[in-house]
Amino acid sequence: MSAPLLRFAHVTYRHAGALAATLVDVTLEVSPGEVVALAGAPGAGATTFLLVAGGFAPRLIGGTLEGTLHSAVAWPGIVFAAPWTQLTGLCQTVLAEVAFGPAGLGLPRAAVRAAAEHALERLGVLHLAPRDPATLSGGELQRVIVAAVLAQEPDLLLLDDPAAELDPAGADALYALLPDVAAAGAAVLVATPDTERAARVATRAVRLDGGRVVADGAPAAVLTDTPAARIARAAGCPAPLPLDADALVARVAR
Amino acid sequence: MIGYRPGDSPLHRAHPYTPLALAAALLLAVFAFGSPGAVGAAVLAAVVLALAGGVLGYTARPALALGLTTWVLLLVLHGLLGPEPFVAAGPLHVSAAGLRRALVLGGRLTAILVAFLTVLAVVSPARLVDAMTDRGVPFARMYLLVSTLTLVPRLRARAAQVLEAQQCRGLRLGGSPLARVAALGPLVLPLVLGALAEVDEQVLALDARGAGRPGRRTALDPPGDSALQRTVRWAALLLAAAAFAAKFAGHAL
Repeated sequence: MSAPLLRFAHVTYRHAGALAATLVDVTLEVSPGEVVALAGAPGAGATTFLLVAGGFAPRLIGGTLEGTLHSAVAWPGIVFAAPWTQLTGLCQTVLAEVAFGPAGLGLPRAAVRAAAEHALERLGVLHLAPRDPATLSGGELQRVIVAAVLAQEPDLLLLDDPAAELDPAGADALYALLPDVAAAGAAVLVATPDTERAARVATRAVRLDGGRVVADGAPAAVLTDTPAARIARAAGCPAPLPLDADALVARVAR
Repeated sequence: MIGYRPGDSPLHRAHPYTPLALAAALLLAVFAFGSPGAVGAAVLAAVVLALAGGVLGYTARPALALGLTTWVLLLVLHGLLGPEPFVAAGPLHVSAAGLRRALVLGGRLTAILVAFLTVLAVVSPARLVDAMTDRGVPFARMYLLVSTLTLVPRLRARAAQVLEAQQCRGLRLGGSPLARVAALGPLVLPLVLGALAEVDEQVLALDARGAGRPGRRTALDPPGDSALQRTVRWAALLLAAAAFAAKFAGHAL
């Protein structure tokens, strides 16, 4: 087991001006090679967890952090749900957009171009390279943004509901990529309501509730640890278990 | 319409610094000029610049819309309230010196507007970024300049989206002037709040993609430059500087 990339010890984070803490007494470690799925109801603190893990909070967005956070992260990459806000606004082509990160490393032009093209190819959108990012659909753009983040080879990849704009095939392809990223030595943290896809690729899952870690362990156990799943499990339903009330009702109706 | 218009004119093909330098030289020179004739020549030069860029049609309308009110105000204020002697202009008696002053001020405004709108129309923000990256301009400075140049088109696009969304929710734009002013609220508030929320996320995304990384960035596709263009740029700026020097030496044009 390699040394942890991130070590949270009793970390509590409060957004600037907020009365209540968004993360409360979080203690956990994340190591290179892990794909950690973060689950929880909206407002549970998963997005904030990503921002703190990546060193964006409180550095860029303010707020107060208590406890100890040891980070060996050299280069975090983050992808949000809405791709439009993640464009640099400075690039006229998809290739230039994806090359933005590698271009900051001062590499030779050919190396920058190769890194961008390789990342686009990994996401299956190399054919979009000459297009203007402003003309892409939401799904295309989200894949371009993921490619842009991967192009600079982050050692910590943070994904906040990354498949929100993707069709099912695109979402499958994106999630299928995560083990490869982790195998290359990065740690991947993905906050998502899509527990089914997350369970397929995660090596570990963490459930947050009210900013606290309430479960941390094997994805199959943690991601299906919802009240609806517990009822279904108790009733002897076979896997995959329904995770919310609607799915439970549908399953019972069958 | 304000903003970049793709095209193939000499100004579109030129290194982005060339139209920027020409417009900057014009802007400087017009403040050095003190006579209606010289300022008129500057307006003409700005029009020639727009013509060379093939964007006169695009720049004329916003220049008129933005400048017309000021022209009327200048002519009324300086023409009617300026110093004596007054001269007859149809049924009115106007101040000759005031009229001259109004022409100089209005001409300056028009030259600046036409030159600035021309630069916005012919300089592709992406090419400008590549040009500045190639010259080693720090990212923060580059981002500030390009964001400023693209602010109007971005806000206009967002305003159109907000307007469509609000119209779907029943916002009516017609009616009395009071009703039209009242309709601005549901447009402006989401526009401003949305822009602020977007900035937060964009700051994070830019930071994660190395925008703040020290060191020189690599330009992916730097625009070509030439000795002729460099000469034109320097000559234009030197001429503007010479006009200023003449003004301070008491030989204002």
